[in-house]
Amino acid sequence: MKNRKFLLSMNKLLSLFFLVLVASSCKDEPLQFEMLPASRSGILFENNLTENNELNILDYLYFYNGGGVAMGDINNDGLPDLYFSANQKGNKLYINKGDLKFEDITQNAKVAGNSSWNTSAIMGDINGDGWLDIYVTAVVGINGFEGHNELFINNKDNTFTERAADFGLDFQCFGTTAALLDFDLDGDVDIYLLNHAVHTEESFGRAQIREERNDKTGDRLLRNDGNTFTDISEAAGIFGGINGYGLGVSVSDFNQDGYPDIYVGNDFHEDDYYYLNNGDGTFTESLKKYFGHTSRFSMGSDVADINQDGLPDIISLDMAPEDETVLKSSEGDDTYQTLKMRTEQFGYHYQYTRNMLFTNNNNRPYTETALLSGVSATDWSWSALFGDYDQDGQQDLFISNGIPRRPNDLDFIRFVSSEEIQKKMIDNRLVDQQALEMMPNGAMPNYVFKGNGKGSFIDASETWIPSEKTASGATAVGDLDGDGDLDIVTNNINAPAGIYVNRTNNTANYLKIKLQFKSKNTFGIGTKVYAYHNGSLQFKELFPTRGWQASSEPMIHFGFGNASKVDSLKIIWPDNTAQTVHNIATNQSLTITPKNNQAFAYKTSSKQLLFKKTEDNLGINYTHKEDNHTDFDYQKLIPYQVSDRGPAVAMGDIDGDGKEDIFLGGARNQQASVYLQKENGFERHDYPEISNDSLFEDVAAHISDTTFYGSSVLTVLTGGNYFTPSRNVLANHTYSPNLPNLGKVNLIGQLEISGVLAEADSLGQPFDNFIGNYSVPMDFGKLPLSTVSDLDGPYSTNLEIGMVTDAIWDDFDDDGQTDLIVVGEWMTPKFFKHENGLLTEVFPIDNDILGLWQTVIPFDIDEDGDTDYLLGNWGLNTKFKASPQAPMKMYYADFDDNGSTETILAIEKNGKYYPLLGLNELSEQLVFLRKRFRNYKDFAGKTIEEVLGEELLQKATVFEVNTLTSGFLRNTGNTFIFEAFPLELQTAPIKAFVKYDFNGDGKESVLAGGNYFGVIPFHGRFDSFSGAMIDSETKITLGNQLGLEMEHKSVRHLKIIEQNNQAYLLIVYNNEAAQIYEIQK
Amino acid sequence: MKQLRYMKFRNRMIPIFTFVVLALVVSSCKDNKVEQNNEPIVIATDQFHNSVDHVTQIMVHDIFSPPVASRIYAYPNIAAYEIIAQRDETYRSLVGQVKELVAIPRAADSINLPLAALIAHMDVSKSLIFSEEKMATYRDSLYRIWEAQNPSEFIAARSYGIQVSDWIKEWYSGDFYNQTRTMSKFTVDTDDPSRWQPTPPSYLDGIEPHWNKIRPFVLDSAAQFKPAPPPPFSMDKDSDFYKELVEVYDISERITAEGDDSEEIEIAQFWDCNPYVSVTRGHLMFATKKITPGAHWMGIVKIACKKDEADFNKTVFAYTKTSMGIFDAFISCWDEKYRSNLIRPETLINQNLDENWKPILQTPPFPEYVSGHSVVSGAAATVLTDIFGDNFSFLDDTELPYGLPVRSFESFNKAAEEAAISRMYGGIHYRAAVEIGLEQGIKVGTWVVEKLEM
Repeated sequence: MKNRKFLLSMNKLLSLFFLVLVASSCKDEPLQFEMLPASRSGILFENNLTENNELNILDYLYFYNGGGVAMGDINNDGLPDLYFSANQKGNKLYINKGDLKFEDITQNAKVAGNSSWNTSAIMGDINGDGWLDIYVTAVVGINGFEGHNELFINNKDNTFTERAADFGLDFQCFGTTAALLDFDLDGDVDIYLLNHAVHTEESFGRAQIREERNDKTGDRLLRNDGNTFTDISEAAGIFGGINGYGLGVSVSDFNQDGYPDIYVGNDFHEDDYYYLNNGDGTFTESLKKYFGHTSRFSMGSDVADINQDGLPDIISLDMAPEDETVLKSSEGDDTYQTLKMRTEQFGYHYQYTRNMLFTNNNNRPYTETALLSGVSATDWSWSALFGDYDQDGQQDLFISNGIPRRPNDLDFIRFVSSEEIQKKMIDNRLVDQQALEMMPNGAMPNYVFKGNGKGSFIDASETWIPSEKTASGATAVGDLDGDGDLDIVTNNINAPAGIYVNRTNNTANYLKIKLQFKSKNTFGIGTKVYAYHNGSLQFKELFPTRGWQASSEPMIHFGFGNASKVDSLKIIWPDNTAQTVHNIATNQSLTITPKNNQAFAYKTSSKQLLFKKTEDNLGINYTHKEDNHTDFDYQKLIPYQVSDRGPAVAMGDIDGDGKEDIFLGGARNQQASVYLQKENGFERHDYPEISNDSLFEDVAAHISDTTFYGSSVLTVLTGGNYFTPSRNVLANHTYSPNLPNLGKVNLIGQLEISGVLAEADSLGQPFDNFIGNYSVPMDFGKLPLSTVSDLDGPYSTNLEIGMVTDAIWDDFDDDGQTDLIVVGEWMTPKFFKHENGLLTEVFPIDNDILGLWQTVIPFDIDEDGDTDYLLGNWGLNTKFKASPQAPMKMYYADFDDNGSTETILAIEKNGKYYPLLGLNELSEQLVFLRKRFRNYKDFAGKTIEEVLGEELLQKATVFEVNTLTSGFLRNTGNTFIFEAFPLELQTAPIKAFVKYDFNGDGKESVLAGGNYFGVIPFHGRFDSFSGAMIDSETKITLGNQLGLEMEHKSVRHLKIIEQNNQAYLLIVYNNEAAQIYEIQK
Repeated sequence: MKQLRYMKFRNRMIPIFTFVVLALVVSSCKDNKVEQNNEPIVIATDQFHNSVDHVTQIMVHDIFSPPVASRIYAYPNIAAYEIIAQRDETYRSLVGQVKELVAIPRAADSINLPLAALIAHMDVSKSLIFSEEKMATYRDSLYRIWEAQNPSEFIAARSYGIQVSDWIKEWYSGDFYNQTRTMSKFTVDTDDPSRWQPTPPSYLDGIEPHWNKIRPFVLDSAAQFKPAPPPPFSMDKDSDFYKELVEVYDISERITAEGDDSEEIEIAQFWDCNPYVSVTRGHLMFATKKITPGAHWMGIVKIACKKDEADFNKTVFAYTKTSMGIFDAFISCWDEKYRSNLIRPETLINQNLDENWKPILQTPPFPEYVSGHSVVSGAAATVLTDIFGDNFSFLDDTELPYGLPVRSFESFNKAAEEAAISRMYGGIHYRAAVEIGLEQGIKVGTWVVEKLEM
């Protein structure tokens, strides 16, 4: 029975007790992995750390990063052997004697090492003689650490000779690990040496300092020139700055051009690096172009094709705790302001404190889905290793974690440390053992996740691995017992190494492939293998330096479930020649050498895509620019920004020339633009009446050719979360050419934050105009009134509908009368049936779907002839959590009785509700919580009821969300049933739809756009959605496959423009330049 | 210096020792307490000092920003002062002299006023700090002694002290502190080169941007002593502003080169008074915490009272008047800070002169102009000079518990001048903020002295 929760109520303890009984009584279901005891294996290695007053985590920030482990067959007897590096003393080499018995041959083999502080251990054939050598990195030059990186060259007789100096590899830097790759495809193995900074520069400094090379901390690219290595870092474009806290490195041909590329994970504020190999001996760092955001305290990383599309995907680890108590007592993300400064002023990229999972989109930006995929929080994590651990044909994921002391414990930071440490400072000794002891222990059970082959994972730790709490770091995988499945070895701090023996055995089929390549790259590092069986594809690349300070067995391993044969294997060798073998039986170890291999040409896509960015943007030179207003400065606890709903866009004939013109609203202090359509393209026209209204934050607009003023009328709805006594800047207003000088009329009584304006097509009915209001300024949670009115008559009525974001007039019940459908946040879509001049709310959806609905469009998605409704929601790639059984709750009240209201969000975890945010965030608004919880320990793990107390909760209005998925309302005749879109449409909020016959086949499709950034760094940045073409329920294509570039931008509107028989797509973003795409039918 | 430190620690041992003896006495008297329980309770002046010291220590633990700390000192002192003033003709009630204070209920003649004052002081303090249990533990240890000494006298004084405490709580709840808690944060706009922005290493938000909305005691308004604006912002090398920027940098470079021999560095560190200095060592973070500027001046009040051999009532008076001056000084100062919103030297020096420069002191998280320590020290010194006279020399050992040495001063004003200039040595203020700040503080102090008849 695995137990990840530490604070258990008595009840829980009791039930746990029973569970333990139950668990132990059903011992017949053993764990997938058995932990092999040292007594059985003979592996006595422990990475024991001795901390003292001269050397501890205060003196060396990476004191707890652990040693290394390398797995490989050093004596070519077919059994992988193990080398462990210990930080302080006692590296060990164990020979695999078979039957999971190992013999320590360190002494005779002469591989104990001489450096004071060892880090990684990797195996590779450095001299190209077909025998694995061992390379051990060291930290040298601080804290009295001596020695150098050591290269143990294999003497082919179970002994080694240390020859780092001969090879030019005896570096005396702050080494983390080394990755092997043949970057120049010259047939030998080159090295990327990852080093880490140790300086404790307390200010961020400009990002550009990475360009100034530092000998100790800078990473190095080392070219193999025969029997010596040459440092070509600078010429190759590798950063080597003093801020390069390099902790993770993964090599893969990410862009599938035949040349290996490099992903480097950097700790702290330094960005990760994404080096794309230019093929000419140089690299181009391209992180910002391909990644919307990354992990912040980046640790180990790994690469594998997790969704079976033949492209390498990446995981980069961080230290976000899953456990509620640890989470709430640990330092979390930046504040909104700090992140803004770090990105905008200092030039760093967006980074957030959690694991990141990036799926590869073939030379388009990656889609980051760790939250959606279920692997975002694995506590203080070091190594990630993908592998098909249960051999079902899908990649699983092992993550090692744990740290002997948690230095980011909030109580330690604020309370414990100071009093202790201050005393020491008086004696000029910064800290001693006693102060160190006050940091809480961070040993944790490791994690293992089972993959589903579609990019999602479920936590299988409880049933797969023992739940011992360890500080496990470096990890290697390989087949120790020769039974075909992947065993796992971890290097643990102050504990025996973890030997996890896989018991998949013959319950599922495997294929192990050993590659024998020519030249000096004997193990074929960089080889790609594509396996096809039953119509599914698996893709692997051989880069043994993976995870964290380690190298795994240099072989390719596949699982195939119960398939007895593989249809074909395509092998692309490091020299970019390919060969294919067919009909291979599973459950064997295969050795493949180059044979009949032909030059392989990587595809460069020249296919015509549906969308093509126009060069002149049709003359529309419009960039929406948000003002400097941050809602969180005013309402610190609202779940997301309120004042970033713009810009407003409307299309219609403003100048009466019969052509459709465009109104593009401005943010506060930005002038709106009117673009008049001309013969070829558009021209900006300045209407002073409109320009003068730049104080308004335009969030919705509509141009109608109504008869109200006898010509077109432009109505602009305003938003922005500002408090002004008169709220004048919130007045919605109309302009009409028939009034003098495009005269303006303020709409009476419209002083809320608006959401949408919907106008019915059929005039002449008693009502045809709906203004949906979204929120009340500075009072998020108070519901505004929305208005239904008649444009050409006196009819007008106000309704409290909710936080309205979108509305349409559409005849949902097919009775020939146009009805009103309204969507919004913290509410279910609302249907107002129109019957003979009366609007009546009806409830045609089978269940309440309380969502954060953003947009709605009618579309027959299931192609059955009736109208369904597509609904854009928040998505699942989020820390929000909601289901019908356990809805997300928002409590709204003036909790501190000071005349202004607050909102507090709570989500369910294990049957209880916890505040989403921590004590720092909550108490910034609710100071009384500081009195109630004097330290973080008291607050952490407390439910929302315990934090606020029943009395305060009683006085709150409770809003709920039970559905976060975007999806559609399936029309079943008399009711609508909500169905979620597939996961690739849940990666970010969907904010806009447009319907059009894009490909000219006579049938309309819907294009969806989204992404959203108006959240605090705790939530990250919803930037990965590239848009999607929805042709039908079963045919959905992502925008990045269609030529659209919507990633990293937040879409607000999608519009179609037709001009000279050519259709264009107008994409309007928040705080970005609008784009025009040509639709290439 | 070592000698002094040793002496100090020995001195601090004495009260603890006494306490142990008392405790022994108390426990040995348990059997015959009927005869022992009506001895009069005499409150020593030191006990008031101890209560203030205790509040200081809890504030260091809880971490309060300097303006908030000034509020935590002032109200408990006033509670105690209003109690003792009703029976001592030397002192006059503050009712009618400070905003919205209504006369406290009169004490019956039998009430032990110093005891009630001390109880009220502890009770109001407890309501203002976070770690109430720390104050309660201290209070209860005293309660036990007093109750054993004379239950009826104690209970009457406690009842009255708490009554006054509640009265003062009601009064302070109207000072707009609660409302300012949920007001907007300072909006950073790095496009404006003169505008303050968060500083390393923690890049904390600007603290207390609405402190000028707090109800002052004596000032007509927060802007009553609005200082002249700082030199106009300019990166023109000939501008006054730029010269002041370079001056901060030059001083820092010079005294850093002198290293441990530099008296300027010693002065800077002595007056640091930063309640939360964040230290980062990789993933390990911690805070070194010190007392606030207000707390330092409370320490000087204690030193002055002891040297002056002030009695209980004068001691309470001195604390009260000084803390009121400091309270209003913070309001006056913060009003200007978030009017001029001036950028700190650290930001500009990093941007323009030296990317790697760090000030000797950690830059505190609020705008530069005017220097808070200068205003507060000017006000405090003016009030203290009024009470104890000019040229009142003293040895300032307030910072000893924080590992800093003792410094001697010829007068309160000299100490204030040193506190002001220390901010330039520390690299966190320009000259104008220090000089004009000190003047502003003296004006606030003089106003308090002239306006209050205590």
